[in-house]
Amino acid sequence: MYKVLRVSKSYHYLKGFFSFLLVIFCHNYYAQSDLLFEAQRLCNEKKFDQALPLVDKIIVHPETKSDPASWYTRSFTYFYIYKQAGQYNTSKINELDTALVSCLKSMKLDTGNTYINENKSIIKNGAIYYYKVSTVLLQDSLNNIKSEKFYDNYKKYTAIIDPSFDFKPKDINYYNTTGGIFADMYMKNNFNQKYGDVAKYALLKVLEIDNKNISANMNLGILYYNQGATLMRMMDYDVDLAQLDVIQENAKKLFKQSLPFMIKVYSLDPKAEKALESLQGIYSALFDEEKANEFKQKKEALNKP
Amino acid sequence: MKKLIKYSLFIVLAFSSLSFQIQQNFDPNAKVKAVFLYNFTRYFEWPEKMKSGNFIIHIVGTNNSLSGELNKMSASKQVGNQKLEIKNSLALDASIQPHIIFLLNESSEILKEISSKYKGKGTLIVTEKSGLAKSGSAINFVAIDSKLKFEYSKANAVKAGLKTSEELKSLAIAVD
Repeated sequence: MYKVLRVSKSYHYLKGFFSFLLVIFCHNYYAQSDLLFEAQRLCNEKKFDQALPLVDKIIVHPETKSDPASWYTRSFTYFYIYKQAGQYNTSKINELDTALVSCLKSMKLDTGNTYINENKSIIKNGAIYYYKVSTVLLQDSLNNIKSEKFYDNYKKYTAIIDPSFDFKPKDINYYNTTGGIFADMYMKNNFNQKYGDVAKYALLKVLEIDNKNISANMNLGILYYNQGATLMRMMDYDVDLAQLDVIQENAKKLFKQSLPFMIKVYSLDPKAEKALESLQGIYSALFDEEKANEFKQKKEALNKP
Repeated sequence: MKKLIKYSLFIVLAFSSLSFQIQQNFDPNAKVKAVFLYNFTRYFEWPEKMKSGNFIIHIVGTNNSLSGELNKMSASKQVGNQKLEIKNSLALDASIQPHIIFLLNESSEILKEISSKYKGKGTLIVTEKSGLAKSGSAINFVAIDSKLKFEYSKANAVKAGLKTSEELKSLAIAVD
């Protein structure tokens, strides 16, 4: 009897406990499903800020975390939150990152390709935004490091959409633009080496892709020449003769580094007036007056009727 | 996509107008020559009579970059207590009694005349044509291995009436 009573008591305890778990489980299950529907409803109503906490919950819940719809909904929500902040917005870039990472996760889970077009659409547009942000960062804040990071994101996501996309022209344009901006900053900021180094890095990137690129060769030639000339320009008049020799040696190295780039431009376009003028300057700086005169005459011949 | 194209074009247009070019208003060679000339004032001693008034550097010939550089230098530097004064003429100007006379390449043919005229008068004759340190100038600029160096004739400096420093010989290409 005692035994029976004891069993019976335990049974009631266990029954109650499992009933509670079942309620919690069912509540949670339906709650999570409801959350997904609710998030989708809010997105349809463009209430993305309200949808945000819901989409972050559904992607961690065991019942919905493996559902491509959850990740797509999250991607959609974050993407539009980023978009609402403005096309060139850089402060909300984390939202764009989250949107695209969620897309990738959705695509991975979406074995039936139910959301493939929607995911691809977000990735495609997200890539475009990364490109825009990379150019804005170059122009407005001269943040070349972040700019290049976002430019790489643009490439990464574009390649997912179109694996055969040829990035060479885009790379040339991007790095030539970076080189041009920083070369200009180098000149406008009293030949600040910091800007010169960024310009060099970017222009050398262009030449890695296309060693016959006239603009990159020209700007690199000018950059090296100007660095040598700046060493001379900054030199005090009363440096002693030993120091003068060292400065001349360093400047000479830079002038010599500029030469092959400018010769390349000349070989590609013998009528490029800027190249002829630069070659005259470089050879003159290297005390090769014969060569300097040769290019001076070539430049003058260009302007003869 | 249209917006992207438009934006890309904007970027290209915005930066294709950049006019990055070599430093046009600066001639490195002129600066080096100016620094050398200023250094020479430390290695020679001029006669007492030339230690008052302005310290005159006279350039004979045309080199606008050098004239500009020397004038710039004269605004900030002196030789002892003497102000630097830069004079420039196309031919020899006998009315000028310079401390340093610099015959540019194109004026080299008057070296004999100059060295005779300024003999013992305390004028340092500087030239820039091969072999002229052996023909009358005390200092002759030469380009060696893409750098500017100078030949030094102590004998010609002494003839010009200058006291010389042995240290300069160690820094120069001695010709005697």
